[in-house]
Amino acid sequence: MELENIQSDGVVDTRGLGCPMPLLKTKKALKGMASGEILEILGTDPGSKKDIPDFGNKGGNQFLGMVDVPEGHTRYFIKKG
Amino acid sequence: MNMKTEIRNYYNALFEQEWPAWLAGMLIAIIALMIFLWQSPWGIAAGYNNWGDWFYYLVNAYDERPLNPWLHPVSLSNSGILIGAFVSALLARQFKFRPAPKLEYAKGLIGGMLMGAGAAMAKGCNVGGFFSAVAMLSAGGFAMMIGLGAGAWVGLRYLLWEMEHLPSQTVYSKPKEETESRTFNWPKVQPYLGATVAIGVVAVFYIFSFVDKTQLGGWLFFGFLIGLVMHRSRFCFVRAFRDPFMTGEAKMVKAVAVSIIIYFAGSSVIKWAYLQEPTMGVYHPFILGCLMGGFIFGIGMLLAGGCASSTLWRVGEGQTKLMVTLVTFALTNSLTSKFLLVSGLDEKLGQDIFLPDVLTWPITVPLILAFFLSWVLVAMWNEETEKFVVF
Repeated sequence: MELENIQSDGVVDTRGLGCPMPLLKTKKALKGMASGEILEILGTDPGSKKDIPDFGNKGGNQFLGMVDVPEGHTRYFIKKG
Repeated sequence: MNMKTEIRNYYNALFEQEWPAWLAGMLIAIIALMIFLWQSPWGIAAGYNNWGDWFYYLVNAYDERPLNPWLHPVSLSNSGILIGAFVSALLARQFKFRPAPKLEYAKGLIGGMLMGAGAAMAKGCNVGGFFSAVAMLSAGGFAMMIGLGAGAWVGLRYLLWEMEHLPSQTVYSKPKEETESRTFNWPKVQPYLGATVAIGVVAVFYIFSFVDKTQLGGWLFFGFLIGLVMHRSRFCFVRAFRDPFMTGEAKMVKAVAVSIIIYFAGSSVIKWAYLQEPTMGVYHPFILGCLMGGFIFGIGMLLAGGCASSTLWRVGEGQTKLMVTLVTFALTNSLTSKFLLVSGLDEKLGQDIFLPDVLTWPITVPLILAFFLSWVLVAMWNEETEKFVVF
């Protein structure tokens, strides 16, 4: 799947935030989503590059991938299981 | 595969990919043991304390002139950690000043104050008061551990409350074209600058050695190694206390436990064999000071998003929020230590206890081992059942 073309069902913006806020916000947002929906997370914390993929594959959810964009942040995609 | 690609792959694996936390835990334990053999156990808060003392001395609030920062062992190892993380971030082409939203600066400020006060009460931070304290077989280390866990729980409850009740703030990143000029390619320059700074640290060690201060130079160098390892692995004591409540993840619990087991086993050999004074590094006020100090410190580290050690390495990679934390940690730690000393409260916080004095050597060693193995087992069980996860 081309990450750039993914239509997400919700976006969490964590740009400028450091550990643990990106993970907390991701967890909270995922709780409010229905199975099969896709969450997009925007982040700038270098730690998120490992944390979000690890967390995204837990609890039946699926981490779809991440992409660095020219604006300087990273987009992450998680599919709710 | 030609040699150039091969070297590039090695470089990537060593300096760009994140190292496993358990490996970092082992390396940190080995470096900490070397520091113990080199002179005395590793700590961090005493270095912050020295920097805070200097501020108050310069504004004429303190009469006594503190030790010069470049002659203070812990101030030197702290500088080493910061520089090591800076070098590591440069080698990974990751260094940049990272602004944060206003609320985060406020949390960094208060978190630093709480950690500074907590570390003064416990006579040590998460390193000197917990990590090294436990390895030195000081009962206070275990009391602080309990305090840190309770504080982390309270701090996490606050973060959850904040997420529900305060408006979310972010910092919008600027497009690259605006921030970087065309002639200066910052990502490309970073590894070369990193290598230059690393060589500089070695050169400084030789200078120390040349003026007959090899031992002090060693503190800088060992700190440098720790900073490098911590940043490469994003090694974080806060996570060991927070994650079991937050995501249930046990990764950092295992890494910290592995590290402590190696560190305390090594230190037991050194102490039991009288290679160093057995009671060295045992000065923690058991139980009140360690318990309360750990609790306050635990709340602070959750607000700041960094403990004494990870504040240093996060500053080294350019996180501006933690720079605020570093300043308030130093200022509050110095002031609180002074207050406890002058008011005489110091005496009432507890007394240092060397575990083998109370329990004897043959019981202390297996007991500590069993304690940390149980910590890991409970954390693994919690990872599966999420029994302690608060949200």
